[in-house]
Amino acid sequence: MQGADNSVLTELGKRLVSGSLSDATLQRATEASPDFAILPWVNVVKIGGQSIMDRGRSAVMPLIDEIVANLAHHKMILGTGAGTRARHIYSLAIDLGLPVGVLTVLGTAVAWQNAQMLQYLLAKYGIAFLEPEAFASLPHYLMERGAVICQGMPPYKLWEENPEIGRIPPQRTDTGCFLIAEVFGARKMIYVKDEDGLYTADPKKNPAARHIPCISVQKLLADDQDDLVVERAVLDLMLTARHIREIQFVNGLKPGQLSAALAGEPVGTIIFNAAPKAAFAAAAP
Amino acid sequence: MKSNHAGAEHVASRLMRESLVDKKLIASTEAPVHAILPKINVIQIGGLSIMDRGRRAVLPLLDEIVANQDKYTLVVGAGPGVRARHIFSVGLDLGLPTGALATLAAKSSAQNAYMVACLLADSGFVYLEAPFIVQLLPAMLAAARGAVFNGIPPYDLWEHPPAVGKIPPHGSDAGSYLVGEVFGARSVILLKDVDGLYTADPKTNPDAEFIAEIGAAELIARQLPTLPIEPVILELLVRAKLATSFRIVNGLVPGNLTRALNGETIGTLIHR
Repeated sequence: MQGADNSVLTELGKRLVSGSLSDATLQRATEASPDFAILPWVNVVKIGGQSIMDRGRSAVMPLIDEIVANLAHHKMILGTGAGTRARHIYSLAIDLGLPVGVLTVLGTAVAWQNAQMLQYLLAKYGIAFLEPEAFASLPHYLMERGAVICQGMPPYKLWEENPEIGRIPPQRTDTGCFLIAEVFGARKMIYVKDEDGLYTADPKKNPAARHIPCISVQKLLADDQDDLVVERAVLDLMLTARHIREIQFVNGLKPGQLSAALAGEPVGTIIFNAAPKAAFAAAAP
Repeated sequence: MKSNHAGAEHVASRLMRESLVDKKLIASTEAPVHAILPKINVIQIGGLSIMDRGRRAVLPLLDEIVANQDKYTLVVGAGPGVRARHIFSVGLDLGLPTGALATLAAKSSAQNAYMVACLLADSGFVYLEAPFIVQLLPAMLAAARGAVFNGIPPYDLWEHPPAVGKIPPHGSDAGSYLVGEVFGARSVILLKDVDGLYTADPKTNPDAEFIAEIGAAELIARQLPTLPIEPVILELLVRAKLATSFRIVNGLVPGNLTRALNGETIGTLIHR
């Protein structure tokens, strides 16, 4: 690989081939490379597990109607959450002494079940379910049918990292869907849950909790709340993301909220990055 | 088994109806972890440091692996080396995101792992892709006489954008370590072309001092300008439940791997 081949490499390429990847100056040098958005028109929509799917017909069917109504207008990657069956198996697996990587494998099966159910309900509109290994076909399905369904967990399997505290996999379906949006340079990342967005406390438990329509990820991290509307890993990844500058949370139990979010309206709660990476400007066409 | 609360059908469990993001709930899940395969030793063969050097570096090492096969259960990972650097260069020039770079680089380490598996095949080693590590590793270790896997973890498009730049943070060091952690391996050994950890790169700085043993948190705090390992592996080690240390060993020196497997002091030991 040395010698003649190197003459075709960029200056950065020459450093990459010969230097240590853990060298901080080399890492900084990659910061300035351009950012190409792979699917800039796609919207990633995460359908909550406990908040939507576990409620059954009353919550899911109106949402299906709303998704179908938007098929002609917005291209969507629909990811699913896990929910109460994941909580059951996490609880059981922790009791049995199984490690975080095994809990991730188990939790993935639950998100997969929810994705399959969603796919049965959307099948007659030609909507396909794709495993992570089949994501190369995703542009075709999006172009032809307007949406695809995937399970929301990242495909980390046994390779999931331990959390700082406890035994629950820290990177679950909120994180998996966020990373899909980021890697494709998606237009929007929308989380469909059963609340109007973010509150100062859990509104299911504390009636004094106040709604927060818009907040920076920096403020949210600094506030260090005991509970949050989204996995903490998503907030950490927002700081390092190069494409996704904001994420939106809508109430899937209220008809019209998903459509409004897809149309660009500020419904629910928007968490935005107040200091996005400067290189983002390079993403312009 | 079921209860209906606030409109959702629940399965009764300790975590039922709770927010999995709640700090108190997360803390309540702390409990001992069972080691699934406590006898395995995870050996990571460096890409740039070992594989790219070809037969004079690789074949003696594989002989040493085979020599230890009867005494130890060995699961061997391989790093990607210079082909990953090359595709990073082309990919970055095209503006591809970190998740795409991770997906591409994982094929380079898969190539190296496959070559290692071919060279170890007549000793009974099998190559296992990630889905087969999940499903078949115990069966393969019982039936076969060792396994080889892709060092890069299957994060693919879901790889994290790093804090600085775009290079995928979870490479083959992290992937091999995580295999050791999840199975509760007896040891994790990273084979490189340096004797271990130095205060600076010994290839370019003759004043670099050797570090025989250090804690992960202390090493993070020292902020050394360059490391012979991926920085993310130190963060993983801080949160270790089972694989609470790993060793960096010079794989170009015959006998080093054997000494590391025997638990002797060799190379650098980094612990939780």
